[in-house]
Amino acid sequence: MKYVTANSGAVAVGLAFGPIVPEFVTANPGLIDYVEIPFEQLRHSPDTGSIQETVPVILHCASMSVAGFVPPDDGTMKGIEREAERTKTPWIGEHLAFITAEPIQDDHTQPTALTYTVCPQMSEETVERVATNLASLQKRFNVPLILENSPQYFDVPGSTLSMVDFVSAVIERCQVGLLLDLTHFVISMLNTKKDPVSEIDRLPLEKVVEVHISGLSVQSGIAWDDHAIPAPPVVFDLFERVIARVRPKAVTLEYNWSPQFPESTLLRHLDRVHKIVRN
Amino acid sequence: MIANRVHAIVAAGLENPELLARWKQEPELLRAYGVDPAAFDLDAIWKFAGLSAKVKHNGLRFDLPLTFRFLSVNGLEIDIFGAYAAHKARAGTRYAPTTEGRIVEFVDFLRNWLDFDKREHELLWDLVRHESALAQLRNRTPSLGKCRVPHIVGEIILHEMTCDPRVLGKLLRQKTVDPGRVQRDVVYLGYWNPGDPEEICILELNELGYHLLSLVDGKRSLADFKAISKKLISAFDELASVGVISK
Repeated sequence: MKYVTANSGAVAVGLAFGPIVPEFVTANPGLIDYVEIPFEQLRHSPDTGSIQETVPVILHCASMSVAGFVPPDDGTMKGIEREAERTKTPWIGEHLAFITAEPIQDDHTQPTALTYTVCPQMSEETVERVATNLASLQKRFNVPLILENSPQYFDVPGSTLSMVDFVSAVIERCQVGLLLDLTHFVISMLNTKKDPVSEIDRLPLEKVVEVHISGLSVQSGIAWDDHAIPAPPVVFDLFERVIARVRPKAVTLEYNWSPQFPESTLLRHLDRVHKIVRN
Repeated sequence: MIANRVHAIVAAGLENPELLARWKQEPELLRAYGVDPAAFDLDAIWKFAGLSAKVKHNGLRFDLPLTFRFLSVNGLEIDIFGAYAAHKARAGTRYAPTTEGRIVEFVDFLRNWLDFDKREHELLWDLVRHESALAQLRNRTPSLGKCRVPHIVGEIILHEMTCDPRVLGKLLRQKTVDPGRVQRDVVYLGYWNPGDPEEICILELNELGYHLLSLVDGKRSLADFKAISKKLISAFDELASVGVISK
Protein backbone atom coordinates (compact mmCIF):
# COMPACT_ATOMS: atom_id res chain seq x y z
CA MET A 1 0.00 0.00 0.00
CA LYS A 2 1.17 3.52 -0.76
CA TYR A 3 0.56 6.46 1.51
CA VAL A 4 0.82 10.21 1.19
CA THR A 5 4.20 11.10 2.62
CA ALA A 6 4.98 13.97 5.00
CA ASN A 7 4.70 17.35 3.38
CA SER A 8 8.03 18.33 1.82
CA GLY A 9 6.74 21.76 0.88
CA ALA A 10 5.90 20.72 -2.66
CA VAL A 11 2.29 20.91 -3.82
CA ALA A 12 0.99 17.39 -4.48
CA VAL A 13 -1.04 16.95 -7.67
CA GLY A 14 -3.72 14.28 -7.89
CA LEU A 15 -6.86 13.06 -9.59
CA ALA A 16 -10.32 12.36 -8.27
CA PHE A 17 -11.06 8.66 -8.67
CA GLY A 18 -13.14 7.91 -11.74
CA PRO A 19 -13.51 5.43 -14.59
CA ILE A 20 -10.39 6.58 -16.45
CA VAL A 21 -8.11 6.77 -13.41
CA PRO A 22 -6.91 3.17 -12.81
CA GLU A 23 -5.74 2.75 -16.40
CA PHE A 24 -4.27 6.26 -16.47
CA VAL A 25 -2.27 5.69 -13.28
CA THR A 26 -0.87 2.43 -14.61
CA ALA A 27 0.02 3.97 -17.97
CA ASN A 28 1.60 7.08 -16.43
CA PRO A 29 3.54 5.97 -13.34
CA GLY A 30 4.70 8.80 -11.11
CA LEU A 31 2.75 11.47 -12.96
CA ILE A 32 0.33 12.06 -10.12
CA ASP A 33 1.02 12.01 -6.39
CA TYR A 34 -2.32 10.66 -5.15
CA VAL A 35 -5.87 9.72 -6.02
CA GLU A 36 -8.74 11.23 -4.10
CA ILE A 37 -11.55 8.76 -3.38
CA PRO A 38 -14.89 9.52 -1.79
CA PHE A 39 -15.76 7.44 1.24
CA GLU A 40 -19.12 6.69 -0.38
CA GLN A 41 -17.39 5.02 -3.33
CA LEU A 42 -15.22 2.89 -1.05
CA ARG A 43 -18.32 1.91 0.88
CA HIS A 44 -20.27 1.00 -2.24
CA SER A 45 -17.38 -0.60 -4.16
CA PRO A 46 -14.62 -1.59 -1.72
CA ASP A 47 -12.57 -2.93 -4.66
CA THR A 48 -11.78 0.63 -5.73
CA GLY A 49 -9.55 0.88 -2.67
CA SER A 50 -7.07 -1.47 -4.34
CA ILE A 51 -5.75 1.49 -6.34
CA GLN A 52 -3.78 2.32 -3.21
CA GLU A 53 -1.43 -0.51 -4.11
CA THR A 54 -0.32 1.77 -6.97
CA VAL A 55 -0.81 5.30 -5.70
CA PRO A 56 -1.53 6.98 -2.32
CA VAL A 57 -5.08 7.94 -1.46
CA ILE A 58 -6.65 11.06 0.02
CA LEU A 59 -10.10 10.50 1.49
CA HIS A 60 -13.01 12.69 0.48
CA CYS A 61 -16.48 12.59 1.95
CA ALA A 62 -20.05 13.73 1.33
CA SER A 63 -21.85 12.00 4.19
CA MET A 64 -21.25 14.05 7.31
CA SER A 65 -23.77 16.81 6.55
CA VAL A 66 -21.54 19.32 8.32
CA ALA A 67 -23.88 22.24 7.66
CA GLY A 68 -27.03 20.26 8.39
CA PHE A 69 -29.30 19.60 11.34
CA VAL A 70 -29.46 15.81 11.08
CA PRO A 71 -26.27 14.09 12.21
CA PRO A 72 -24.88 11.17 10.23
CA ASP A 73 -25.67 7.76 11.68
CA ASP A 74 -23.09 5.96 13.74
CA GLY A 75 -22.57 3.24 11.14
CA THR A 76 -21.59 5.84 8.57
CA MET A 77 -19.22 7.56 10.97
CA LYS A 78 -17.56 4.28 11.93
CA GLY A 79 -17.15 3.51 8.23
CA ILE A 80 -15.44 6.86 7.62
CA GLU A 81 -13.19 6.27 10.63
CA ARG A 82 -12.19 2.87 9.28
CA GLU A 83 -11.36 4.27 5.84
CA ALA A 84 -9.42 7.16 7.34
CA GLU A 85 -7.29 4.71 9.29
CA ARG A 86 -6.92 2.24 6.45
CA THR A 87 -5.95 4.81 3.81
CA LYS A 88 -3.81 6.88 6.22
CA THR A 89 -5.23 9.93 4.52
CA PRO A 90 -3.51 13.16 5.63
CA TRP A 91 -6.92 14.87 5.99
CA ILE A 92 -10.56 14.31 5.12
CA GLY A 93 -12.22 16.79 2.78
CA GLU A 94 -15.92 17.23 3.52
CA HIS A 95 -18.50 19.49 1.86
CA LEU A 96 -19.62 22.62 3.64
CA ALA A 97 -23.15 21.49 2.89
CA PHE A 98 -25.98 19.27 4.02
CA ILE A 99 -27.04 15.92 2.60
CA THR A 100 -29.73 14.97 5.08
CA ALA A 101 -32.51 17.13 6.46
CA GLU A 102 -35.42 16.86 8.83
CA PRO A 103 -38.69 15.61 7.34
CA ILE A 104 -41.14 18.33 6.33
CA GLN A 105 -44.05 16.63 8.04
CA ASP A 106 -43.79 16.23 11.76
CA ASP A 107 -45.48 12.84 11.54
CA HIS A 108 -42.68 11.45 9.38
CA THR A 109 -39.90 10.04 11.48
CA GLN A 110 -37.31 9.44 8.77
CA PRO A 111 -35.09 12.34 7.72
CA THR A 112 -34.82 13.13 4.03
CA ALA A 113 -31.57 11.61 2.80
CA LEU A 114 -30.20 12.93 -0.48
CA THR A 115 -27.44 11.56 -2.67
CA TYR A 116 -26.00 14.96 -3.55
CA THR A 117 -24.76 17.64 -1.15
CA VAL A 118 -26.66 20.93 -1.05
CA CYS A 119 -25.47 24.45 -0.31
CA PRO A 120 -26.90 25.38 3.11
CA GLN A 121 -28.63 28.51 4.26
CA MET A 122 -25.76 30.94 4.62
CA SER A 123 -26.45 32.62 7.95
CA GLU A 124 -24.96 33.10 11.40
CA GLU A 125 -27.24 30.31 12.57
CA THR A 126 -25.64 27.88 10.12
CA VAL A 127 -22.13 29.07 11.00
CA GLU A 128 -22.84 28.17 14.63
CA ARG A 129 -24.33 24.86 13.58
CA VAL A 130 -21.23 24.00 11.54
CA ALA A 131 -19.06 24.87 14.54
CA THR A 132 -21.08 22.54 16.78
CA ASN A 133 -21.12 19.72 14.23
CA LEU A 134 -17.46 20.04 13.42
CA ALA A 135 -16.40 20.01 17.07
CA SER A 136 -18.24 16.74 17.52
CA LEU A 137 -17.12 15.16 14.23
CA GLN A 138 -13.46 16.13 14.50
CA LYS A 139 -13.11 14.21 17.76
CA ARG A 140 -13.58 10.96 15.87
CA PHE A 141 -10.53 11.39 13.64
CA ASN A 142 -6.80 11.60 14.13
CA VAL A 143 -6.48 13.67 10.96
CA PRO A 144 -8.02 17.10 10.32
CA LEU A 145 -11.33 17.59 8.60
CA ILE A 146 -11.19 20.34 5.99
CA LEU A 147 -14.27 21.97 4.44
CA GLU A 148 -15.08 22.41 0.76
CA ASN A 149 -17.06 25.41 -0.47
CA SER A 150 -20.35 24.41 -2.13
CA PRO A 151 -21.55 25.51 -5.53
CA GLN A 152 -24.50 27.86 -5.13
CA TYR A 153 -27.20 27.15 -7.71
CA PHE A 154 -30.02 29.21 -6.18
CA ASP A 155 -30.66 31.67 -3.39
CA VAL A 156 -31.17 29.67 -0.23
CA PRO A 157 -33.98 31.38 1.73
CA GLY A 158 -32.96 33.06 4.94
CA SER A 159 -29.35 33.53 3.84
CA THR A 160 -27.85 36.70 5.22
CA LEU A 161 -24.26 36.14 4.10
CA SER A 162 -22.68 35.94 0.67
CA MET A 163 -20.75 32.79 -0.24
CA VAL A 164 -17.42 34.44 0.51
CA ASP A 165 -18.64 35.87 3.81
CA PHE A 166 -20.17 32.55 4.82
CA VAL A 167 -17.06 30.51 4.02
CA SER A 168 -14.85 33.09 5.73
CA ALA A 169 -17.05 33.10 8.83
CA VAL A 170 -16.98 29.30 9.07
CA ILE A 171 -13.21 29.12 8.60
CA GLU A 172 -12.67 31.84 11.20
CA ARG A 173 -15.18 30.45 13.70
CA CYS A 174 -14.03 26.82 13.38
CA GLN A 175 -10.33 27.36 12.68
CA VAL A 176 -10.58 24.70 10.01
CA GLY A 177 -8.71 24.23 6.73
CA LEU A 178 -10.35 25.13 3.42
CA LEU A 179 -10.73 22.82 0.46
CA LEU A 180 -11.13 25.51 -2.18
CA ASP A 181 -13.12 24.13 -5.08
CA LEU A 182 -12.38 26.77 -7.69
CA THR A 183 -15.09 25.55 -10.03
CA HIS A 184 -17.70 25.65 -7.27
CA PHE A 185 -16.46 29.13 -6.52
CA VAL A 186 -16.81 30.31 -10.13
CA ILE A 187 -20.26 28.70 -10.34
CA SER A 188 -21.37 30.54 -7.21
CA MET A 189 -20.02 33.83 -8.54
CA LEU A 190 -21.73 33.38 -11.91
CA ASN A 191 -25.04 32.42 -10.32
CA THR A 192 -24.98 35.33 -7.88
CA LYS A 193 -23.58 37.79 -10.43
CA LYS A 194 -20.40 38.59 -8.51
CA ASP A 195 -16.91 39.14 -9.81
CA PRO A 196 -14.85 36.01 -9.07
CA VAL A 197 -11.51 37.84 -9.17
CA SER A 198 -12.31 40.45 -6.55
CA GLU A 199 -14.30 37.99 -4.46
CA ILE A 200 -11.58 35.35 -4.30
CA ASP A 201 -9.21 37.87 -2.79
CA ARG A 202 -11.63 38.21 0.14
CA LEU A 203 -11.41 34.50 1.00
CA PRO A 204 -9.07 33.38 3.79
CA LEU A 205 -6.69 31.88 1.23
CA GLU A 206 -4.02 31.29 3.87
CA LYS A 207 -6.28 28.49 5.16
CA VAL A 208 -6.41 26.64 1.82
CA VAL A 209 -5.15 23.07 2.23
CA GLU A 210 -6.37 21.62 -1.05
CA VAL A 211 -7.72 22.94 -4.34
CA HIS A 212 -10.28 21.25 -6.62
CA ILE A 213 -10.48 21.93 -10.34
CA SER A 214 -13.20 20.63 -12.68
CA GLY A 215 -15.44 21.72 -15.54
CA LEU A 216 -18.64 23.71 -15.49
CA SER A 217 -21.50 24.13 -17.91
CA VAL A 218 -24.19 26.76 -18.22
CA GLN A 219 -27.62 25.30 -18.93
CA SER A 220 -31.14 26.62 -18.42
CA GLY A 221 -29.72 29.91 -17.22
CA ILE A 222 -27.63 28.46 -14.38
CA ALA A 223 -23.96 27.47 -14.13
CA TRP A 224 -23.51 23.83 -13.04
CA ASP A 225 -20.69 21.65 -11.83
CA ASP A 226 -19.58 19.29 -14.60
CA HIS A 227 -16.79 16.77 -14.04
CA ALA A 228 -17.20 15.39 -17.57
CA ILE A 229 -15.71 18.41 -19.31
CA PRO A 230 -12.45 20.33 -18.89
CA ALA A 231 -12.14 23.35 -16.60
CA PRO A 232 -12.62 26.66 -18.42
CA PRO A 233 -9.82 29.26 -18.57
CA VAL A 234 -11.33 31.35 -15.75
CA VAL A 235 -10.75 28.49 -13.31
CA PHE A 236 -7.07 28.28 -14.25
CA ASP A 237 -6.77 32.07 -14.05
CA LEU A 238 -8.09 31.96 -10.49
CA PHE A 239 -5.81 29.04 -9.70
CA GLU A 240 -2.78 31.08 -10.76
CA ARG A 241 -4.04 33.94 -8.63
CA VAL A 242 -4.40 31.67 -5.59
CA ILE A 243 -0.98 30.06 -6.11
CA ALA A 244 0.61 33.49 -6.31
CA ARG A 245 -0.53 34.05 -2.74
CA VAL A 246 -0.47 30.67 -1.00
CA ARG A 247 0.94 27.15 -1.25
CA PRO A 248 -1.82 24.57 -0.76
CA LYS A 249 -0.73 21.03 0.07
CA ALA A 250 -2.60 19.45 -2.81
CA VAL A 251 -4.42 20.16 -6.07
CA THR A 252 -6.97 17.67 -7.39
CA LEU A 253 -8.29 17.56 -10.93
CA GLU A 254 -11.85 16.25 -10.79
CA TYR A 255 -12.46 14.77 -14.22
CA ASN A 256 -14.24 11.73 -12.91
CA TRP A 257 -17.71 11.54 -14.43
CA SER A 258 -17.01 10.28 -17.91
CA PRO A 259 -15.09 7.24 -19.17
CA GLN A 260 -14.57 9.17 -22.41
CA PHE A 261 -12.74 12.12 -20.87
CA PRO A 262 -9.90 12.70 -23.37
CA GLU A 263 -6.54 11.54 -22.06
CA SER A 264 -4.80 14.25 -24.09
CA THR A 265 -6.78 16.93 -22.23
CA LEU A 266 -6.07 15.28 -18.91
CA LEU A 267 -2.32 15.22 -19.65
CA ARG A 268 -2.40 18.83 -20.81
CA HIS A 269 -4.22 20.01 -17.69
CA LEU A 270 -1.94 18.04 -15.38
CA ASP A 271 1.02 19.62 -17.11
CA ARG A 272 -0.54 23.05 -16.69
CA VAL A 273 -1.17 22.46 -12.98
CA HIS A 274 2.39 21.17 -12.48
CA LYS A 275 3.82 24.24 -14.21
CA ILE A 276 1.71 26.64 -12.15
CA VAL A 277 2.61 25.07 -8.81
CA ARG A 278 6.32 24.88 -9.67
CA ASN A 279 6.55 28.55 -10.62
CA MET B 1 -36.22 31.98 8.21
CA ILE B 2 -35.10 29.07 10.36
CA ALA B 3 -32.31 27.15 8.67
CA ASN B 4 -33.48 23.62 9.48
CA ARG B 5 -36.95 24.35 8.05
CA VAL B 6 -35.39 25.74 4.88
CA HIS B 7 -33.12 22.72 4.53
CA ALA B 8 -36.06 20.38 5.13
CA ILE B 9 -38.11 21.99 2.35
CA VAL B 10 -35.25 22.13 -0.15
CA ALA B 11 -34.35 18.49 0.56
CA ALA B 12 -37.96 17.32 0.26
CA GLY B 13 -38.30 19.10 -3.08
CA LEU B 14 -35.06 17.67 -4.39
CA GLU B 15 -35.98 14.17 -3.33
CA ASN B 16 -39.46 14.47 -4.80
CA PRO B 17 -39.69 17.09 -7.59
CA GLU B 18 -43.43 16.36 -7.75
CA LEU B 19 -43.67 18.36 -4.53
CA LEU B 20 -41.98 21.29 -6.27
CA ALA B 21 -44.63 21.19 -8.99
CA ARG B 22 -47.36 21.11 -6.37
CA TRP B 23 -45.83 24.01 -4.42
CA LYS B 24 -45.50 25.99 -7.62
CA GLN B 25 -49.21 25.56 -8.33
CA GLU B 26 -50.25 26.13 -4.72
CA PRO B 27 -47.62 28.28 -2.99
CA GLU B 28 -49.78 28.48 0.12
CA LEU B 29 -48.94 24.86 0.85
CA LEU B 30 -45.44 26.03 1.73
CA ARG B 31 -46.78 28.57 4.21
CA ALA B 32 -48.09 25.66 6.26
CA TYR B 33 -44.46 24.75 6.91
CA GLY B 34 -43.82 28.18 8.39
CA VAL B 35 -41.91 29.66 5.45
CA ASP B 36 -42.50 32.39 2.89
CA PRO B 37 -43.24 30.71 -0.48
CA ALA B 38 -41.87 33.72 -2.39
CA ALA B 39 -38.41 33.09 -0.94
CA PHE B 40 -38.02 29.74 -2.67
CA ASP B 41 -36.77 29.59 -6.26
CA LEU B 42 -38.66 26.41 -7.06
CA ASP B 43 -37.60 26.40 -10.72
CA ALA B 44 -33.93 26.44 -9.78
CA ILE B 45 -34.43 23.70 -7.19
CA TRP B 46 -36.22 21.65 -9.88
CA LYS B 47 -33.21 22.11 -12.17
CA PHE B 48 -30.86 21.10 -9.36
CA ALA B 49 -32.85 17.88 -9.05
CA GLY B 50 -32.02 17.46 -12.74
CA LEU B 51 -28.30 17.77 -12.03
CA SER B 52 -28.58 15.20 -9.27
CA ALA B 53 -30.44 12.79 -11.59
CA LYS B 54 -27.85 13.36 -14.30
CA VAL B 55 -25.01 12.47 -11.94
CA LYS B 56 -26.87 9.33 -10.86
CA HIS B 57 -26.81 8.29 -14.52
CA ASN B 58 -23.06 8.74 -15.03
CA GLY B 59 -22.83 4.94 -15.23
CA LEU B 60 -24.70 5.09 -18.54
CA ARG B 61 -21.90 7.06 -20.15
CA PHE B 62 -20.02 3.82 -20.88
CA ASP B 63 -22.80 2.66 -23.20
CA LEU B 64 -24.24 6.02 -24.30
CA PRO B 65 -21.17 8.26 -24.75
CA LEU B 66 -22.45 10.09 -27.82
CA THR B 67 -25.90 10.58 -26.32
CA PHE B 68 -24.35 12.29 -23.30
CA ARG B 69 -22.09 14.36 -25.53
CA PHE B 70 -25.10 15.42 -27.61
CA LEU B 71 -27.00 16.38 -24.45
CA SER B 72 -24.00 18.37 -23.24
CA VAL B 73 -23.21 20.28 -26.43
CA ASN B 74 -26.87 21.13 -26.92
CA GLY B 75 -27.36 22.16 -23.29
CA LEU B 76 -30.15 19.64 -22.78
CA GLU B 77 -28.88 17.70 -19.75
CA ILE B 78 -30.48 19.71 -16.98
CA ASP B 79 -33.89 20.04 -18.65
CA ILE B 80 -34.09 16.39 -19.64
CA PHE B 81 -32.85 14.95 -16.37
CA GLY B 82 -35.00 17.44 -14.44
CA ALA B 83 -38.05 16.21 -16.34
CA TYR B 84 -36.92 12.63 -15.83
CA ALA B 85 -36.53 13.09 -12.07
CA ALA B 86 -40.01 14.62 -11.92
CA HIS B 87 -41.40 11.77 -14.03
CA LYS B 88 -39.94 9.16 -11.69
CA ALA B 89 -41.27 11.04 -8.66
CA ARG B 90 -44.75 11.18 -10.22
CA ALA B 91 -44.64 7.47 -10.94
CA GLY B 92 -43.37 6.82 -7.43
CA THR B 93 -40.64 4.54 -8.74
CA ARG B 94 -36.91 4.39 -8.14
CA TYR B 95 -34.22 4.21 -10.80
CA ALA B 96 -33.44 0.66 -11.93
CA PRO B 97 -30.59 -0.93 -9.98
CA THR B 98 -28.63 -2.02 -13.09
CA THR B 99 -27.13 0.03 -15.90
CA GLU B 100 -29.02 -2.07 -18.46
CA GLY B 101 -32.29 -1.40 -16.66
CA ARG B 102 -31.56 2.31 -16.40
CA ILE B 103 -30.92 2.54 -20.13
CA VAL B 104 -34.24 0.86 -20.91
CA GLU B 105 -36.12 3.14 -18.51
CA PHE B 106 -34.40 6.27 -19.80
CA VAL B 107 -35.17 5.41 -23.44
CA ASP B 108 -38.80 4.69 -22.50
CA PHE B 109 -39.01 8.08 -20.82
CA LEU B 110 -37.52 9.87 -23.82
CA ARG B 111 -39.96 8.14 -26.20
CA ASN B 112 -42.85 9.90 -24.48
CA TRP B 113 -41.14 13.11 -23.44
CA LEU B 114 -39.27 14.26 -26.53
CA ASP B 115 -40.89 16.79 -28.84
CA PHE B 116 -40.29 15.36 -32.30
CA ASP B 117 -41.11 18.70 -33.91
CA LYS B 118 -37.74 19.86 -32.61
CA ARG B 119 -34.86 18.73 -34.78
CA GLU B 120 -32.43 18.35 -31.89
CA HIS B 121 -34.92 16.09 -30.11
CA GLU B 122 -35.28 13.97 -33.26
CA LEU B 123 -31.50 13.65 -33.49
CA LEU B 124 -31.24 12.74 -29.83
CA TRP B 125 -33.87 10.05 -30.32
CA ASP B 126 -31.90 8.60 -33.24
CA LEU B 127 -28.68 8.63 -31.27
CA VAL B 128 -29.99 7.12 -28.04
CA ARG B 129 -31.73 4.29 -29.91
CA HIS B 130 -28.55 3.66 -31.92
CA GLU B 131 -26.35 3.43 -28.83
CA SER B 132 -28.85 1.57 -26.67
CA ALA B 133 -29.39 -1.02 -29.43
CA LEU B 134 -25.66 -1.68 -29.61
CA ALA B 135 -25.43 -1.82 -25.79
CA GLN B 136 -28.36 -4.20 -25.59
CA LEU B 137 -26.84 -6.55 -28.16
CA ARG B 138 -23.40 -6.36 -26.55
CA ASN B 139 -24.79 -7.43 -23.22
CA ARG B 140 -26.75 -10.43 -24.48
CA THR B 141 -25.80 -13.67 -26.18
CA PRO B 142 -28.84 -14.77 -28.15
CA SER B 143 -29.82 -18.41 -28.18
CA LEU B 144 -29.42 -20.08 -31.57
CA GLY B 145 -32.05 -22.77 -31.11
CA LYS B 146 -33.63 -24.39 -34.15
CA CYS B 147 -37.02 -23.23 -35.27
CA ARG B 148 -39.46 -24.55 -37.87
CA VAL B 149 -40.59 -21.12 -39.02
CA PRO B 150 -38.56 -18.24 -40.49
CA HIS B 151 -36.67 -16.61 -37.65
CA ILE B 152 -33.79 -14.23 -37.07
CA VAL B 153 -30.44 -15.91 -36.66
CA GLY B 154 -29.29 -14.40 -33.39
CA GLU B 155 -31.00 -11.15 -32.53
CA ILE B 156 -31.87 -8.06 -34.51
CA ILE B 157 -33.11 -4.65 -33.41
CA LEU B 158 -34.72 -2.53 -36.13
CA HIS B 159 -34.88 1.23 -36.10
CA GLU B 160 -36.22 3.79 -38.54
CA MET B 161 -34.05 6.88 -38.13
CA THR B 162 -34.30 10.48 -39.33
CA CYS B 163 -30.54 10.55 -40.01
CA ASP B 164 -27.62 8.18 -40.06
CA PRO B 165 -26.57 8.19 -36.37
CA ARG B 166 -23.06 7.09 -37.37
CA VAL B 167 -22.61 10.36 -39.26
CA LEU B 168 -23.98 12.28 -36.29
CA GLY B 169 -21.55 10.35 -34.06
CA LYS B 170 -18.60 11.39 -36.21
CA LEU B 171 -19.63 15.04 -35.93
CA LEU B 172 -19.95 14.71 -32.17
CA ARG B 173 -16.41 13.42 -31.90
CA GLN B 174 -15.18 16.66 -33.43
CA LYS B 175 -14.50 19.63 -31.19
CA THR B 176 -17.35 21.73 -32.47
CA VAL B 177 -20.65 20.24 -33.44
CA ASP B 178 -23.26 21.65 -35.77
CA PRO B 179 -26.31 19.38 -35.77
CA GLY B 180 -27.59 21.49 -38.67
CA ARG B 181 -25.01 19.71 -40.84
CA VAL B 182 -26.76 16.39 -40.29
CA GLN B 183 -28.85 15.62 -43.32
CA ARG B 184 -32.47 14.68 -42.66
CA ASP B 185 -33.06 11.40 -44.38
CA VAL B 186 -35.09 8.31 -43.52
CA VAL B 187 -32.60 5.58 -42.76
CA TYR B 188 -33.57 1.99 -41.96
CA LEU B 189 -31.04 0.20 -39.79
CA GLY B 190 -30.85 -3.31 -38.45
CA TYR B 191 -28.57 -3.91 -35.47
CA TRP B 192 -27.70 -7.56 -35.74
CA ASN B 193 -25.98 -9.90 -33.32
CA PRO B 194 -25.62 -13.16 -35.29
CA GLY B 195 -24.88 -15.08 -32.11
CA ASP B 196 -21.66 -13.57 -30.87
CA PRO B 197 -21.45 -10.06 -29.35
CA GLU B 198 -18.04 -9.70 -31.04
CA GLU B 199 -19.73 -9.90 -34.43
CA ILE B 200 -22.42 -7.26 -34.02
CA CYS B 201 -22.98 -5.35 -37.23
CA ILE B 202 -25.26 -2.64 -38.51
CA LEU B 203 -27.23 -3.47 -41.64
CA GLU B 204 -28.44 -0.68 -43.88
CA LEU B 205 -31.83 -1.82 -45.13
CA ASN B 206 -34.24 -0.60 -47.75
CA GLU B 207 -37.80 0.04 -46.68
CA LEU B 208 -39.06 -3.30 -47.90
CA GLY B 209 -36.27 -5.24 -46.20
CA TYR B 210 -36.91 -3.33 -42.98
CA HIS B 211 -40.62 -4.15 -42.97
CA LEU B 212 -40.01 -7.72 -44.05
CA LEU B 213 -37.59 -8.24 -41.17
CA SER B 214 -40.05 -6.68 -38.77
CA LEU B 215 -42.50 -9.41 -39.76
CA VAL B 216 -40.00 -12.17 -38.98
CA ASP B 217 -41.08 -12.80 -35.41
CA GLY B 218 -40.38 -16.52 -35.10
CA LYS B 219 -44.13 -17.18 -35.06
CA ARG B 220 -45.21 -16.58 -38.67
CA SER B 221 -44.67 -19.62 -40.87
CA LEU B 222 -43.51 -19.67 -44.47
CA ALA B 223 -47.17 -20.24 -45.40
CA ASP B 224 -48.07 -17.04 -43.53
CA PHE B 225 -45.51 -15.13 -45.56
CA LYS B 226 -46.87 -16.61 -48.80
CA ALA B 227 -50.33 -15.48 -47.75
CA ILE B 228 -49.04 -11.98 -47.07
CA SER B 229 -47.40 -11.99 -50.50
CA LYS B 230 -50.63 -13.05 -52.16
CA LYS B 231 -52.53 -10.32 -50.32
CA LEU B 232 -49.98 -7.80 -51.55
CA ILE B 233 -50.42 -8.85 -55.19
CA SER B 234 -54.18 -8.90 -54.76
CA ALA B 235 -54.07 -5.38 -53.30
CA PHE B 236 -52.09 -4.21 -56.33
CA ASP B 237 -54.69 -5.75 -58.65
CA GLU B 238 -57.54 -4.09 -56.78
CA LEU B 239 -55.87 -0.70 -56.85
CA ALA B 240 -55.13 -1.13 -60.56
CA SER B 241 -58.72 -2.18 -61.25
CA VAL B 242 -60.10 1.06 -59.82
CA GLY B 243 -57.43 3.04 -61.67
CA VAL B 244 -55.53 4.32 -58.63
CA ILE B 245 -52.33 2.78 -59.96
CA SER B 246 -51.31 1.53 -63.37
CA LYS B 247 -49.28 -1.64 -63.81
